[in-house]
Amino acid sequence: MKPLKPMLHSGLRSLTRRHFFHDCGLGLGRIGLASALAGGFPNLLRTASANPLAPRDTHYGAKAKRVVFLFMAGAPSQLELFDDKPKLRELDGKPIPPSVIAGQRYAFIQPDAAVLAPCFPFARHGQSGAELSDRLPHLAKVVDEIAIVKSVTTDQFNHAPAQLFLNTGHGLPGRPAMGSWLSYGIGSEADDLPSFVVLKSGGSLSGGAAMWSAGFLPGSHAGVPFRESGDPILHVSNPAGYDARAQRDSLDLIGKMNRRELGTVGDPEIETRLDAYEMAWRMQSAAPGLMDFADEPPETLALYGAKPGDPKAAFANQCLLARRLLERGTRMVQVYHSGWDHHSQVANGVTAQAKQVDQASAALVADLKQRGLLEDTLVVWGGEFGRTPMVEASAALGRSLGRDHHPQAFTMWMAGGGIKPGITLGANDELGFHVVEDPVHVHDLHATLLHLLGIDHTKLTYRYQGRDFRLTDVHGHIVRKLLA
Amino acid sequence: MSFSRHLLPIVLVSLGGGAAAQEVDFQRDIRSLLSDRCFKCHGFDEEMQEADLGLHTFATATRDLGGYRAIAPGDSAASELVARILSDDPSEVMPPPKANKPRLSPEEVALVRRWIDGGAKYEEHWAFVKPTRPEAPEIGESGSSHPVDRFLDAARAGKDLPLNGPADPRTLVRRISYDLRGLPPTLAETEAFLKAHAADPESAWSSLVDAFLASPAYGERWARDWLDLARYADSNGYEKDRPRSIWPYRDWVVRALNADLPYDRFTIEQLAGDMLPDPTLDQLVATGFHRNTMLNEEGGIDPLEFRYHAMVDRVATTGSVWMGLTTGCAQCHTHKFDPITHTDYFALFALLDNADEPEIEVPDPALTKRREEIEARVAALESEAAAAVDEADFRPWLEELRAKWADWTPLPPLRARSNLPLLEIENDHSVYASGDFSKRDLYEVSLDLSAFAGREVTALLLEALPDPRLPAGGPGVAYYEGRKGDFFLSEIEAKAGGRELAFSEASVSFGKIAIGSGEITGANVFDGDGSTGWSTATREGEAHHLVLRLAEPLAGGGELDLSLLFERHFVAGLGRFRISATDATGELEALPAGVPDVISADEAELRRGFVRVSPGHEAHREEVAKLLRQRPEIPTTLVMRERPAHHPRKTHRHHRGEYLSPKEEVKPAVPALFEPIPEGTRADRLGLARWLVSERNPLGARVAANRAWQALFGRGIVHTSGDYGYQSELPSHPELLDWLAVEFVEQGWSLKRLHRLLVTSAAYRRDSRIDSVQLAKDPDNVLLARGPRFRLDGEMIRDGALHAAGLLSPKQGGPGVFPPQPAGVTELAYGNAAWKTSADEDRHRRSLYTFAKRTAPFAAYLVFDGPTGENCLPRRERSNTPLQALTLLNDPMFLEAAEALARLTGSDGEPDPLESLFQRVLSRPPSEDERRDFLAYHEAQLARLAAGELDAAAILSAEKGDATPELAAWAMVARVLLNLNENITRG
Repeated sequence: MKPLKPMLHSGLRSLTRRHFFHDCGLGLGRIGLASALAGGFPNLLRTASANPLAPRDTHYGAKAKRVVFLFMAGAPSQLELFDDKPKLRELDGKPIPPSVIAGQRYAFIQPDAAVLAPCFPFARHGQSGAELSDRLPHLAKVVDEIAIVKSVTTDQFNHAPAQLFLNTGHGLPGRPAMGSWLSYGIGSEADDLPSFVVLKSGGSLSGGAAMWSAGFLPGSHAGVPFRESGDPILHVSNPAGYDARAQRDSLDLIGKMNRRELGTVGDPEIETRLDAYEMAWRMQSAAPGLMDFADEPPETLALYGAKPGDPKAAFANQCLLARRLLERGTRMVQVYHSGWDHHSQVANGVTAQAKQVDQASAALVADLKQRGLLEDTLVVWGGEFGRTPMVEASAALGRSLGRDHHPQAFTMWMAGGGIKPGITLGANDELGFHVVEDPVHVHDLHATLLHLLGIDHTKLTYRYQGRDFRLTDVHGHIVRKLLA
Repeated sequence: MSFSRHLLPIVLVSLGGGAAAQEVDFQRDIRSLLSDRCFKCHGFDEEMQEADLGLHTFATATRDLGGYRAIAPGDSAASELVARILSDDPSEVMPPPKANKPRLSPEEVALVRRWIDGGAKYEEHWAFVKPTRPEAPEIGESGSSHPVDRFLDAARAGKDLPLNGPADPRTLVRRISYDLRGLPPTLAETEAFLKAHAADPESAWSSLVDAFLASPAYGERWARDWLDLARYADSNGYEKDRPRSIWPYRDWVVRALNADLPYDRFTIEQLAGDMLPDPTLDQLVATGFHRNTMLNEEGGIDPLEFRYHAMVDRVATTGSVWMGLTTGCAQCHTHKFDPITHTDYFALFALLDNADEPEIEVPDPALTKRREEIEARVAALESEAAAAVDEADFRPWLEELRAKWADWTPLPPLRARSNLPLLEIENDHSVYASGDFSKRDLYEVSLDLSAFAGREVTALLLEALPDPRLPAGGPGVAYYEGRKGDFFLSEIEAKAGGRELAFSEASVSFGKIAIGSGEITGANVFDGDGSTGWSTATREGEAHHLVLRLAEPLAGGGELDLSLLFERHFVAGLGRFRISATDATGELEALPAGVPDVISADEAELRRGFVRVSPGHEAHREEVAKLLRQRPEIPTTLVMRERPAHHPRKTHRHHRGEYLSPKEEVKPAVPALFEPIPEGTRADRLGLARWLVSERNPLGARVAANRAWQALFGRGIVHTSGDYGYQSELPSHPELLDWLAVEFVEQGWSLKRLHRLLVTSAAYRRDSRIDSVQLAKDPDNVLLARGPRFRLDGEMIRDGALHAAGLLSPKQGGPGVFPPQPAGVTELAYGNAAWKTSADEDRHRRSLYTFAKRTAPFAAYLVFDGPTGENCLPRRERSNTPLQALTLLNDPMFLEAAEALARLTGSDGEPDPLESLFQRVLSRPPSEDERRDFLAYHEAQLARLAAGELDAAAILSAEKGDATPELAAWAMVARVLLNLNENITRG
């Protein structure tokens, strides 16, 4: 055997890093590289860096640098918030024409259910004259900053599949989330915080952890959920009894030992481990400042309605935290708020949820605007589907005056990051049943989102199990009418 | 095809631009190029073919296209394909810009031209040709005569890579201990091996390998890999992700691996154990493999849609595990890259489709005995109470019930049919429902009234009957969302002689609704509202009844037609029921649940019924209830059961793979590219299972051998270990793979022999240090000039820490356990599922036994790329992230191990705690430099602890013993050791 030549001088080391990056560590192996190139994304992954989250060039100029997605889990009723339908008032209590519902599948109701009129009055607001119900008084104040899309459609009619579909472009678990695709495609701007953060308020989430999973992408691109109890990032605090100095002393010894091992065995993976421990330290250092709102002036707290530590203000607190994350370089923040699944008593339900959500959602738009961040921050607001024009009532379930799931047509809104402000896009038939103008399928939404971030959705691919996968599968069109 | 002759072992990384020097090889140079750049529009999928041109076969590629040909063999200049790939005209160039495929590089164009000039020979894809045993090359550079080394040496010859020597024995014992058992060696094992190795390295190694292969931990370690493929989990997945019981399958895998059940039988029993003659309980349990699919319990879903998704998963998993095929593409359309048609896909689907999916009991003698004892005690208590019944109370009670009861005559069903489920008429005149169910099922039963000829029927009795074949013993068929065994009878309609019959009143023995707040009354079933009905939730496994009075008497003698509607947001049909009639004219009312038939039952039974329901016996009933609460549940597991011959499930091709678009029926078969299931063997699940491990499947043994290689060498010979199709990477050592595949089969499909073969090679035992030349020339270590080194899986890291700290429990098997993890992990899951941390020994069981919750996997495994159980996982990623660092540094689980290590080694009387810690964690003593650094750290921390800057009582747990500064400082040292790259790497 020939003697081993340890590799330690710096030139060789940078070569090592490049090799490592291309060929072994972090799971960003040949497969991802090959498929990214095959997909015609020459810039992607070419950075010679050991860090898979390092920022990378986009396909073309990006309008948005970051995204905050306010996910209204459970599916808010568009008919109580955004989409007034006088015809439904006229038909209230009468069965919907059988021709409209032939062949449709529902989760709970039977096809002969009666029409339920919108429960609240609508009015026009702002210079754009956009129509909103009286449940959204705060959004009305920023209505000229947002684009309302009334014609969103999805393929899935139950919560878990529809939530997964809106997050990953597929109705079953196992595909990468939007935020993971962004992290994989264009990396992170933060070196002391995760690139893709998940915040939550309200009840349980049907789609679960699969909604922020990296799927078949390397695990380093997975969304990092901030926990509601204990550490926001799992294990970000020092263990009991350890102060910062004790932690640093320990890290120094770990680092020294790992460098020594690197010198002996020459495995570039050890270098990555050294970097990972240092980033862990930076995350530990950054997290307390991120989570502490003491530096926010009272006006800002009041704008959002945020009350640190008060669970009743959870959504407002999360929106403010989202802004703080975006400011610090996080690429994508998702704020999940659940509680919109109003199978019964939709009027009360929408009223209660709008109270929790309206002010902070509007405040986030206003706050980003006043900080000059709105222009390159994309804000998206919406749920996994809409709700039926027909009433839901069931003796077995004790339900009355509710609405069932309606995937055919529902409303979302977007703002900032290259979105044309002050517009309302799309229209539905007079019953609010089907889209009749400018349909925006979930795949189109994804294509547009990637486009705004400078990514061609047909070229951001990852080869897995013999196939080049995309967020938009084989679908998706950029919604040009939404672009500023 | 003479695969072994022309296909020299090659390495992709070293190809570069040097390809020109070599002969063009279709397998290596051309197929993947055509497949990647051309087949999407010019491949197997004829529907998608552009310009009616397919480049996937010689015949189609060289077809006359009207005076010209895409490929003119022998003449690249006359080949349109060459003109197109060279064109600069965007409307002409191939691949076209809209295909989003890169253009062919000059080197690639040159290869294609030379291939065409050489005659454009097509060859069958290597993986679809049966392996034959190639002759092992001459002994090469390593000097080893081991066949594995001879193949590896031949592949490395001329590559000018420095070859590492053997690893030192300390590294070796640790390496093989993790690889074969998933655990580090104990101090004693290391010492013993070092001693033996010094005397005779070969025999020492041989005995060590044998000892580890025989260890019970072997099955646990290899079960983890298999369960990744089986997408095993202890919860159902999707929204609700409720717990399921299928751990008996997991334990079967461990036992089978430890017993070295030959891989062919291992395969057949998992895919079709239920179809073997007189299957044993173990063979039934084994069929849990394909019951590991997820189950959506979200209210309102279409259950058959999710059964379809589960079937898609079964096809994909079968393809990946036994055929190395990615069938997913062919779900929606004919595979563009591999020769699998859309119909092939559904033919494979059909092979697996014809089964029902019951839950069976896995009796545990101790638990059964305990149950029987309790049941005997209950019977005795009831008899005792019944004997003491006061006649003055009992007799009037009985007479009152008898006055409202009748002598019911079961009506023989003549016909029974439904929209979907199979209804079968049993000998006792009951009807049994099986097969598929929907959210709205309608049963139609015609009953023979000839027993009532000349009489008038006044009322009907519907008995909902328990049956062991039903979920939770019935009487309903609900298996998700609601309670298992529940039913919900929405409406009953009766007709005789074409005339609709009205009901006047109804009563039930018991009524309670699950999921919802609706009130249960008998009259719900004829109120015309499908959302009201009769249900007997919480008393599953018992008989219940409904009495229906006809508004007007019905003349007997003819037929009675009943239709029963079951309509809820989940499946809620009745599984077994019987209809009876009476001509009694008095008042009629259902008997209270628990009371036997007051006319036919004997006196003792009646008295027992009396004490079950009448006032004055509350204390007795409380005693009985208390006993019954102590009755242990018999463990259950999920299995497959082939459908009866008279009720096969038809499989259809689904347009675009969509559940809602079924097209023509497809007959079961293996994909046409393979030799079919032999004549005389049924094309069913068992036929498929046997085919997969027969010589007709060119991939079965190759895929298994490659997986073993991947586990032991860190990287498969076929790197894309779930994909051997046209798009896959070519094997780095194709001849070695075939040699191993043939050897594996000839050695009786023994996985232990295969593992033994691999680990006794010199290559496995090589030093894993990386030389700069090796790194530059072969960064992925494809050529194995050095020993493989890779990060351990999260489960092994945890098990290793517990083992080193003396905490690991050796207990095997049983339901999933809940080791400590932060509360925040499961709070994100639906329903804020609580993680009820196990007590005692169960905190420290091997990671294999950690309860696997799909929507909230155990955090410390997930962060190290552990599985979620949502998909078959042929190969884990090995990421290296800050969140892993935070876990190792700060997760209380690892701090607990560090403390335990300190308490083992840092107590008084231990002469050299540091040496002891190093030995336990890293299986080696510290070097002098390391000793200096660690002792400096120890002293610095000790000084701060002594000065009160750090609090020993916070660092240690008081309940585990003293919290001295000395021990705390050693715990801090142990924590550093657990965090070292060396500790989490198998070097």
